[in-house]
Amino acid sequence: MRLELKGLTKKFGSFTADDDIDLVVEPGQIHAVLGENGAGKSTLMNMLYGILQPTSGEILIDGEPVDFSDPGEAIAAGIGMVHQHFKLVGPFSVADNVQLGREHTRFAGVLSAGAARRAVRDVSEQYGLHLDPDAICEDLPVGVQQRVEIVKALSGPKTELLILDEPTAVLTPAEITELLQIMRNLAEGGTSILFISHKLKEVQAVADTITVIRRGKVVAELEPTASESEMASAMVGRAVSLQVDKSAAEPGEPRLEVTDLTVVTDAGVKALDGLELTVHAGEIVGLAGVEGNGQTELARSILGLLKPDAGHIAIDGEDVHGRNPARRIKAGLGYIPEDRGRDGLVAEFSVAENLVLNQYRDAPFASSGVVNASAVDRRAVDSIAEFDIRTQSPDESASSLSGGNQQKVIIAREFSRPRRFLVAAQPTRGVDVGATQFIHSRLVAERDTGTGILLISSELDEIYALADRIAVIYNGRIVGEVDPDTPREVIGRLMVGGRLDDETDTADDEADSGPEAAAVVNDAEVETETETDVETSTETDEDANGGDR
Amino acid sequence: MAVKPFKLALAGFSAIGLAALAACGDAPTDDGGDDNNAEASFHACMVTDSGGVDDKSFNESSWAGMEAAADENSDIKVSFKESASETDYDPNLQSSVDDGCDFIVGVGGLMTANVDTIAEANPELPFATVDGLSAIDNVYSVEFDTAQSAFLAGYVAAAQTETGTVATWGGLQIPPVTIFMDGFAAGIEQHNADKGTEVELLGWDAEAQEGTFLNSFEDTAGGKSTSDTFIQQGADIIFPVAGPAGLGALTAAQENDAVYAIWVDTDGFESTEYGAEIITSAEKGLANAVRDAVLAAYDGTTGGEYVGTLENGGVALAPFHDFDSVVSDETKAEIEELTQQIIDGTLVVESPSSPSAG
Amino acid sequence: MSTETETPAPEQPESAETTEPRPNFMRLFGRYLIEANSVMVTIYSLVMAFFIGAVLLIVSDEGVRSTWTYFFARPQDALSASWNLVYDSYLALFQGAILNLNTLEAFRAGDVEFGNLLRPLSETLLNATPLIFTGLAVGLAFRAGLFNIGAQGQMIFGMLGALVIGFTLNLPAAIHLPLAVIAGAVAGGIFGAVPGVLKATTGAHEVISSIMLNNIAALFLVWAIGSQFLHSETKSELVTKPVNETATLPTLLSSFNPSLRVNLALLLGVAAAVFVWWLLSKSTFGFRIRAVGFNEHASATAGMRIGATYTTTMAAAGALAGLAGAALSLGVGASGITTNTALEYGFDGITVALLGRAKPGGIVAAAILFGALKAGSLSAQPAVPVDISILLQAIIVLFIAAPALVKAILHLRAPRGGLVTLEAKGW
Repeated sequence: MRLELKGLTKKFGSFTADDDIDLVVEPGQIHAVLGENGAGKSTLMNMLYGILQPTSGEILIDGEPVDFSDPGEAIAAGIGMVHQHFKLVGPFSVADNVQLGREHTRFAGVLSAGAARRAVRDVSEQYGLHLDPDAICEDLPVGVQQRVEIVKALSGPKTELLILDEPTAVLTPAEITELLQIMRNLAEGGTSILFISHKLKEVQAVADTITVIRRGKVVAELEPTASESEMASAMVGRAVSLQVDKSAAEPGEPRLEVTDLTVVTDAGVKALDGLELTVHAGEIVGLAGVEGNGQTELARSILGLLKPDAGHIAIDGEDVHGRNPARRIKAGLGYIPEDRGRDGLVAEFSVAENLVLNQYRDAPFASSGVVNASAVDRRAVDSIAEFDIRTQSPDESASSLSGGNQQKVIIAREFSRPRRFLVAAQPTRGVDVGATQFIHSRLVAERDTGTGILLISSELDEIYALADRIAVIYNGRIVGEVDPDTPREVIGRLMVGGRLDDETDTADDEADSGPEAAAVVNDAEVETETETDVETSTETDEDANGGDR
Repeated sequence: MAVKPFKLALAGFSAIGLAALAACGDAPTDDGGDDNNAEASFHACMVTDSGGVDDKSFNESSWAGMEAAADENSDIKVSFKESASETDYDPNLQSSVDDGCDFIVGVGGLMTANVDTIAEANPELPFATVDGLSAIDNVYSVEFDTAQSAFLAGYVAAAQTETGTVATWGGLQIPPVTIFMDGFAAGIEQHNADKGTEVELLGWDAEAQEGTFLNSFEDTAGGKSTSDTFIQQGADIIFPVAGPAGLGALTAAQENDAVYAIWVDTDGFESTEYGAEIITSAEKGLANAVRDAVLAAYDGTTGGEYVGTLENGGVALAPFHDFDSVVSDETKAEIEELTQQIIDGTLVVESPSSPSAG
Repeated sequence: MSTETETPAPEQPESAETTEPRPNFMRLFGRYLIEANSVMVTIYSLVMAFFIGAVLLIVSDEGVRSTWTYFFARPQDALSASWNLVYDSYLALFQGAILNLNTLEAFRAGDVEFGNLLRPLSETLLNATPLIFTGLAVGLAFRAGLFNIGAQGQMIFGMLGALVIGFTLNLPAAIHLPLAVIAGAVAGGIFGAVPGVLKATTGAHEVISSIMLNNIAALFLVWAIGSQFLHSETKSELVTKPVNETATLPTLLSSFNPSLRVNLALLLGVAAAVFVWWLLSKSTFGFRIRAVGFNEHASATAGMRIGATYTTTMAAAGALAGLAGAALSLGVGASGITTNTALEYGFDGITVALLGRAKPGGIVAAAILFGALKAGSLSAQPAVPVDISILLQAIIVLFIAAPALVKAILHLRAPRGGLVTLEAKGW
């Protein structure tokens, strides 16, 4: 299928989300659309898929103009879409999810389980997706669930164009590698792919051609040979340095000592299982791991929101057992929570109020129980200037800020008070390139003042960019502590339960390291490319940001 | 989009409403008289106690008396104001005065003090207090010695019980309620003494002034479960003193063979649908008393006191109706005799809540 | 949401489209009138409630209904009868709540004194007083994300607390009255803290526990009034002893006319509203209440103690409701309270808080509106049934709670920033 967009424009009232977009996807081509949050990518895809109707301009399929009033018509025309947030029915089997909405039936509407299973197996084998039609979706790893979505999209009557909207946002590094391979297989089979992303490396690795959009306009057409900084500059609209300037760490005395930490969840599962970890002054320790392996529990235990079932936490040499979060915060513990919207900010509060959320009772912001509004305001004005928070005024509600600026509010709050040790969990999640760059440099600057930093990130790129030492967490334990020059695949193996000394025998490792091991597919080409430099990640979470629709 | 269904519903509603009202009827040719004596010169006003005018209890009975007075004399018109609590008494009484009422009736003993205050401020106006005693010249007091009728009811209950156990329970522990229970208990004791029986009363200890109360005049379900409890303990005659909540006792009686009830305030055979369960009723002639008070006020009577007794017919034991053949002639004769003794004053039924005591 | 470099601002381009160089004030104002913002939704809700009330008045009046039976034969009968009924009814409500025109005439003619003119307003404010307190009790808790259904029970305990201090002690008024008022607040506060403690320690939902505590309080009241300690020594009805003169709230206007019952509690209520406003907007405690109310997770992460906040907020809310009780037992109920004295002021407080959008100023205004409806409906009897005022309250709240309904019925524009709907967490 050849897809062509001519002057496609979408206005919401007076706001133009997409402005005169021209774009051509040739048959069997992987066409990447690169852009920051709010650039108009999702609006564009929604118009293609019939969810939104263009204000002006036209969509041509194989030269014929088409007009979709709902997704059903887009599907009938051969377009399949994999949404960023999966739309699967958890308790249903893979086969049932794939046939959802177009069930295979025998006479009188009786479901034909055999036909559904066969359909899944056919598509799955054709593109090397390895899906078990009888598996229950909610039991499957995220990467496999995504493959179910892909099969579902491909199972349309004549799907020839696949739209993938930020497909890698939720995947582990190994799963990403695998997805990119699947995309290549699909393209070789003649399917056109429209790949929406803001992750430069992935785009570079898989795309045949790249369209960069910014503020609803096409600003560049690039070849995959373009450098990452070229792409980033086109995205952001100014020159961006992707390198984090960082001198060697000069670790001092221990600032965080975690010994034998065990946390048992309400369900009786050991979320942390005798975890040991030390972070020194003046170093950034990157905690790598697939999400859900105890990172959240570790961070919450350090803050004091979770009461450990066993073990000790010492901050700045003092056991903090029995101290509530307020005391720990006051003693110099900084905390950047992983879920900004839930734990980091009070969305309805003003920027100024959020900037003092954990200091509102301390001088100079309050005296004898009364908030000193002018002191709070002064702090806000200072922080907004120092941390380049883009807001119309300190009194704007935090919810009106973009994800990056919301994160800057949290960073400003934590960096504007005395601190000895900092937990930074997913500090650049859902943050655009510019803000990521800013946050990274602030974290390094913070390290250089002697603060110990525990960086928790599911982005290996971010860990590599910042960490002076990398600890890998798996099943509530630190399974390895390595230098930042350790190859990616070694850490990747540790993240799914492999051992350091397994390096030589990849096949064995895959076989005996649990269910996720099957997902690890080494792709030499990608690996070599991704290993090259220490770079920033530009991971975006559309959800955290409200999306740009 | 949400507008359309609403408008449709509105249109439909109006259409149905108009159709139901049969809007095509003929216009009346003359100006027809008003049945509420709109042109009457004498305006009698009533201020209710809490519970509303349709409380199936003394507010409702008093209002029935007001209306009866208007029926009797077309120069009298009547109206009422409802009080949600005792804090509404004063404004309701005051605005009744302001509205130009010619006679103002306050229902409930608790209002007596408020009626007194406003009566003193308006000495030229006649007032009345129902279930209360006033010492003010222009306030007519209406009280009932319901212990007398309840005494007879208790005697009948003791005569009719098969199990030797009868029960009573009240709505709230207030004098207009406990006076019935005192009289009922006294009637049973009378029977035990005269006839050598040992009939036991559950639910009220007249000596200690303690008993079973529902703390509600509306909770019919609670009334039923309270009655069921007594039935399980062997009671076969229930005497509920709780206004509409007493209906619970009637349903309990209906569900249990050989269990019956005695009603209060009105003749339950006529006022409820459970005539087959009601042996008799301890009547309190509230409506008649209020009607008479209004008519007397119209005639210019101010102040005074009325105590409803067996003698003046203000309280009475209702006819047996379906149970006429069940109650023995002997018992009927004894009731007759006791009534006479009470009227003569040779037999005195006492209750701490009696009008003479309070 | 967008990046910081581009902010989609729906309000900006509007001016670009209009040809006029500067925004015309009248146009902006006109636009405001047809927008579903919270002020206009409230106003429209009131108007619509009174309209529906009028329809119900017509339907429920037998005389007027009968004129509709021959509508097509003589329509002017039905129309004029309906108009007269609605006009008279609402006029009667107005006269009972704000100013009695007949009294005004009598005053002009010199027949009555000035104080008589104030009686409707006095009654309105008297009825509004407990509602201010209970509205604040619900509204304050609301700001902490708590739905305080228990104001009724808290008020009952406040009523008893103030009463006990009011009749047991013999002190000079300057000490006795404040002490009795504080006793009401303390009793209500302790009772109010219970659901807070239960939520903080066991996670029990405050709605469930406070509903149950309301029942406990109501039945406790019946028992307490009947107990020898509290029961009146002179009256046989179920009524308590009167409070001493020294603990009675002084009336504000009785020098004009003894029937003007509005008392000092009104001023306490307004002061309480100002205090709650100050607490919420200026104090660190209020900062914490609001933060926890909006986002307990972020508050906990910032080191705030969530459970303690729930407990103290509920205690403060209970104290406010307790003051409503004190206003009753030391005010209109000073001669002795009954099981009916508390009426439904605690439950009405929920409505008042909702109508006032949980803001102290709004709560005072809503309480006065509801006080006026009650005073008006009491005095408009027997021409207007009391139920009509309850009905009006219910319809107003229905519309306020569902701004989308008002917007849809009246074709209002969507306001900037979306419709304002009050929602309690956990529902």
